[in-house]
Amino acid sequence: MDIRLVNLTKIFADKNSEVRAVDNLDIVIPSGKLIGLLGPSGCGKSTTLYMIAGLLEPTMGQIFFGDEDVTNLSAEKRGIGLVFQNYALYPHLTVKQNIMFPLQNMRMPKAEILARTQKYARLVGIEDLLDRKPKQLSGGQQQRVAIARALVKEPKVLLLDEPLSNLDARLRLQTREEIKRIQRETGITTVFVTHDQEEAMSISDEIVVMKAGVEQQRGKPQDVYEQPVNQFVAKFLGTPPINIFYGKVEKGGLYIGDELIGSSNLEDQEVNIGIRPEGFEISEDGTLSVEVKQVEHIGRDTSVVASNKNTEKETFRFIVESGVEVKEHTTIKVAVKPNKCYVFDKIEEKRVQ
Amino acid sequence: MVEGKKSINFLKAMLYLLPALVLMAIFTFYPLIDTFIISFKEQYDNVTGAYSSIGFENYQRIFSAGNQFVLCLCNTMVIVFASVPVSILLSLLIAVALNSIKPLQRFFQTVFFLPYVTNTIAIGMVFSIVFESHQGLANTIITSLGGSNVNWLGGNIQGVTLGNNLFNPDNALFTPQWFTSMIVLMVYIIWNSLPFKILILLSALQSIDKQYYQAAQIDGTSKFRIFSRITVPLLSPQIFYLLITSFIGAFKEYTSVVAIFGEGAQSVGHRHNMATVVWYIYDKIGSSDATEMGLAAAGAVVLFAIIMFFTAINGYVGKKRVHY
Amino acid sequence: MLLAIIIITAIIIIALLISKLIVTKKEQAFENARRCPENKYYVENADEIIRREKTLKTIRYIVCYTFLVLLAIFMLVPFYWMIVTALKTEAEIELVKPTLFPKVITWSNFRYILDAKYQMSLTTSGKLQFDLFRLMYNTLVVGVFSTIGTLVTTVMAAFAFSRIKFPGREIIFTIFLATMMIPGEMMIIPNYIVVVKYLHGENTYWAMIVPFLISVYYIYLLRQNFRQIPDELYYAAKVDGTSNLKYLFKIMIPIAMPTLITISILKLMGSWNAYVWPMMITSRDDMRLISNGLRQSFTDSEGRSHQGRQMAAAAAVLAPLLIVFVCLRKYIMRGVSRSGIKG
Repeated sequence: MDIRLVNLTKIFADKNSEVRAVDNLDIVIPSGKLIGLLGPSGCGKSTTLYMIAGLLEPTMGQIFFGDEDVTNLSAEKRGIGLVFQNYALYPHLTVKQNIMFPLQNMRMPKAEILARTQKYARLVGIEDLLDRKPKQLSGGQQQRVAIARALVKEPKVLLLDEPLSNLDARLRLQTREEIKRIQRETGITTVFVTHDQEEAMSISDEIVVMKAGVEQQRGKPQDVYEQPVNQFVAKFLGTPPINIFYGKVEKGGLYIGDELIGSSNLEDQEVNIGIRPEGFEISEDGTLSVEVKQVEHIGRDTSVVASNKNTEKETFRFIVESGVEVKEHTTIKVAVKPNKCYVFDKIEEKRVQ
Repeated sequence: MVEGKKSINFLKAMLYLLPALVLMAIFTFYPLIDTFIISFKEQYDNVTGAYSSIGFENYQRIFSAGNQFVLCLCNTMVIVFASVPVSILLSLLIAVALNSIKPLQRFFQTVFFLPYVTNTIAIGMVFSIVFESHQGLANTIITSLGGSNVNWLGGNIQGVTLGNNLFNPDNALFTPQWFTSMIVLMVYIIWNSLPFKILILLSALQSIDKQYYQAAQIDGTSKFRIFSRITVPLLSPQIFYLLITSFIGAFKEYTSVVAIFGEGAQSVGHRHNMATVVWYIYDKIGSSDATEMGLAAAGAVVLFAIIMFFTAINGYVGKKRVHY
Repeated sequence: MLLAIIIITAIIIIALLISKLIVTKKEQAFENARRCPENKYYVENADEIIRREKTLKTIRYIVCYTFLVLLAIFMLVPFYWMIVTALKTEAEIELVKPTLFPKVITWSNFRYILDAKYQMSLTTSGKLQFDLFRLMYNTLVVGVFSTIGTLVTTVMAAFAFSRIKFPGREIIFTIFLATMMIPGEMMIIPNYIVVVKYLHGENTYWAMIVPFLISVYYIYLLRQNFRQIPDELYYAAKVDGTSNLKYLFKIMIPIAMPTLITISILKLMGSWNAYVWPMMITSRDDMRLISNGLRQSFTDSEGRSHQGRQMAAAAAVLAPLLIVFVCLRKYIMRGVSRSGIKG
């Protein structure tokens, strides 16, 4: 079942101010896919999720599950499973009771309740923990219980609110694989919210990047990464983040300062040039001269902190293979790979090339 | 934390604790032991300090047939086991209702807290007038609804007197008068104890993570199930705390009895038939017969033992049932 | 009659709330529809469900508010009846069918309570029956001094228990806490003997103050508060060369001020309610506290008491409490609610 959001808008208003948390959102979430809503905190992604869940009422617009308008339907009638950021496991119930809880609401026969509980406990890999209380579990285990509880009633839609943010780095890696696997196995339409771009990119079939309640870009993670529509999306995706240089287009040439780094078919104008860290190459033929400030060897490759007077920030960072020798406090020449270089217009920060 | 030599710190601490320790020694620890001792002194005269021997005579006397103490104990038990469950249940319902509304919430909260900041004696007197047998408000409401006057605080002596056979002949228990008087007392005690409970439960309710309710809502949990399976267990530490404190409080009920029924603790026509254990203790302390001080001490020890017993039971049950 | 008025008011309030609710809901639905003109999908079933839900929700609201309104009336009735009775004439009080609102408002009951000369002119015994201002004065003397004393002992003990590391601290504190479980009646007999027989405290203020200068519960409350102050603050003060005592007064007490205010209010209210102990150790009318005076002044050994005057006196006793409550509601309610979260 697909989910469609039509002109979805949420305004939080109190006596003297008004916040548009979500502004005219139009998204189609295809059936059986895993979609990540991505954006910095306060961008309205959680609000959107809560509106899909039915916990928040939209100010305007509609939500469709398949052909059905569920905008005014209350949460329990929508047939969704929601995993909360803090898991919201009932602390006084055991893991088993927590998972059984939604089924008991449905007045299901006892045998089936137990069978289903077993099934989903096995799916998320917590069969051994059924008699413990949530407090006795690690964060990752609690997370699995929360997922099992959301899945056990076999909802049409699974919603995850920042599912990995409360886990430590190692668990995060493991759990996100787990989520991906569970989603594949069940084939359930899944929407999840995160501010961590790496997380979103690694498991989503599609991502939606949001900023201040407005959708910026939607697409396959790699497409969005490679073809950002504006400077915000380009900056938000990728670690280390993209480097922005102040540059210009002059007679078909693309310049950073006075140094020609590529070509352009744009009219002459001032532009912002975004170059991914992996978009640099150290070579004698390079046209951009940069001063190396610091070299960090991080195993697989080497991260170089360098400066150029035309960068947005004081320094910028690029990555070279670990075999390449770079000396600190020297000035070197680098070339820019043309497909890793994006040109944004100066005013609207839209991508123009 | 003040670091330093242990002995010096000990002296310093004692200096700060001196007033507390001295006062506690005189007014808490010494009396605690002395009460036990007095309760075993037979024929103890508090004026001269003389006593005949050490023994259980005081206990025998208060538990002997026809002694008021048994009646007082009976009344106290009725008060405890009727008022505590009712008031906790009622306050829980009110707190949940208050928590679920938005408009007027603060107004209601203030109204429900008002009885806490009153004078027990003053409002007790008001209650005795509200339940006045002839032209009180309660009877006015009942008659205007088509009922007939209820003789709330006693008056005509009629009906079977169960208590006559069990207790002192002039202390009638379980008579119609006793029942109506007990109802008035119960209403007052509950009225008086609701505010504290509502406040405690409401602030506990408001600190429960909203996500539990959202999760329950998504799972389509019925309101009743949310209440019984989520709210009550999450409130169990507070409910348990209220249970213990109000059990102790109800065992010590005294002022409200005196406020409604006067220092004689009697509904009209019956001497002392509303008396409680604590009333008995104070009555014996103030008694003109100096040797009755021993009875008061024995009564106090019995009260202490009962309270300890119930607190222990509560603690035992609480360990099993309360989720922290 | 009264019931009818109550019910009608309740219904009006509920009706208003419901109508407001429905109107906002409708507006929202309308707005939704207007904003989505190209809405192609219309599911009859969903609409049905939504309507049923709304009805259920409204019913729930009605039940909830009715319940609260009825209980709120139950809470307020005694106050209302007290004031109304105090404003009635004696003749009106004596009516077999009482009026819900005085036909003639008379201030003579309040005058009797507040004006000693007027009271004297009505009594034959030549003695004031209810000397409000004397009683208030006694209560204030006892209340103020016991509050100050309690604050001193509480701050000192809480400081020792929270900031000084000394051997036996936990044991002593546990013993202190354990005494909270013991009913006061266990102590009152020897206290009475000691104060009256050995210290000759009958009919004195100090006898009503000194035994209550210590409260384990307040020590516990303040200790919790003190413990929340981080140790770093203390070390910083030490580095700056601050003495213990100066640290206590300059840093800890200001931080714990809200708790101290709460303690003061509760302690003052406690004296206003004190009944048993003052009754035991005072025999003279002019040494009684307000609760004793109120209880004893209007009981007639034969016949009935004068209800109007009694209620006026009760109102006069309650008035200061209610004024304090209105002014310091925040401190009182917070202080009381905090006591439930211990454990």
